[in-house]
Amino acid sequence: MFGAHRALLALLAGAAVGTAQAAPQEFSIDPANTHVHWEVKHFGTSTSRGRFDAISGSVTLDREAHSGSASFSIATAPISTGFAVFDGVLRGPYLLATQEYPSAYFVSQRFTFNGDALAAVSGEFTLRGVSQPLRLRALRFSCRQATEPAREICGGDFETEFNRSAFGITHSLPFVADKVHVLIQIEAVRQ
Amino acid sequence: MTMTKTLLACLLAAGAVTAHAESATYAIDPSHTFVTFEANHMGTSTLRGRFDKKEGSVTIDKAGKSGKADITIDATSIDTGVAALDTHLKSKDFFNAAEFGSAKFSADKFAFSGDKVSEVTGTLTLLGKTQPVTLKASNFNCYNHPMLKREVCGGDFETTITRTQYGMSYGLAYGLPDNIRLLIQIEAVKQ
Repeated sequence: MFGAHRALLALLAGAAVGTAQAAPQEFSIDPANTHVHWEVKHFGTSTSRGRFDAISGSVTLDREAHSGSASFSIATAPISTGFAVFDGVLRGPYLLATQEYPSAYFVSQRFTFNGDALAAVSGEFTLRGVSQPLRLRALRFSCRQATEPAREICGGDFETEFNRSAFGITHSLPFVADKVHVLIQIEAVRQ
Repeated sequence: MTMTKTLLACLLAAGAVTAHAESATYAIDPSHTFVTFEANHMGTSTLRGRFDKKEGSVTIDKAGKSGKADITIDATSIDTGVAALDTHLKSKDFFNAAEFGSAKFSADKFAFSGDKVSEVTGTLTLLGKTQPVTLKASNFNCYNHPMLKREVCGGDFETTITRTQYGMSYGLAYGLPDNIRLLIQIEAVKQ
């Protein structure tokens, strides 16, 4: 009898652990392996690239329920194209207006799965004070057990594109294209 | 006689045109010329970095469908957006920038598709080792720059190098890849 109780308790405890694993898990962004790169066509000829260097945020992921949510803040002033003059122009009032709009935001409560694989993250992107729906396609997404720190790390590559004019950024059109292609590297550490 | 004279004049004019079209030298525009590399990080996400300092020139003979390129890349100007990673990449583990301050790309074989450059074949010298490299153009175009009042030619090129061929083998055992994709933006102004 006592043995049966114990077995039941152990089962319940096991179930509880199982549930805990299936419950939403919190991840915090690893800034060293999280970057937003963008690409834009210059004079229809070559691709100019730039990078936002300061991204913070968190992700909640429920791999059993195939759901998740994400909230990112991207500081607009720490932008890097490799050419200081461009960085200054990009921060200026005609483009990102970083003094007035120091952050861009992406908030999602819709994670789409293809089987067990994360396929897309849909949400709202706010840039220069304008919010628009945006869907990030997952090119690859996986989790690994890291040793230093001994935590699980999940991440991958995501991409999307938007027209900058939709956010009121029309300077240099049409010499610099309207369409901005965005490449996102993200790795996040389980909390 | 008049006929001969006209023919001669025609031939001379043709000769002048040919001589004019023969070959033109273009100096690379450092604000629109960058080498970006992509490396898979621990099987999870794509790490990107960029070299910010470079110089060089390109000669293109559009009529003769040939060309030459010499581009020097400053190995100390690596920029990933993460200072600690930049320091590690410049160290002996990777680019050994103190000993090998620059990488050099020299090409003398230009393939054309119609009047557009489609491939550039030459050598890349990195860490003192020289290996053959072919850059494939994903876009090539020439345009008259409205502000510079000069012809600008350029495009996007890419290749994948195997870093161990240059003696760079750090981190292979930890899952850092041997194959590194290079994305090259280049625009050059007619001299």
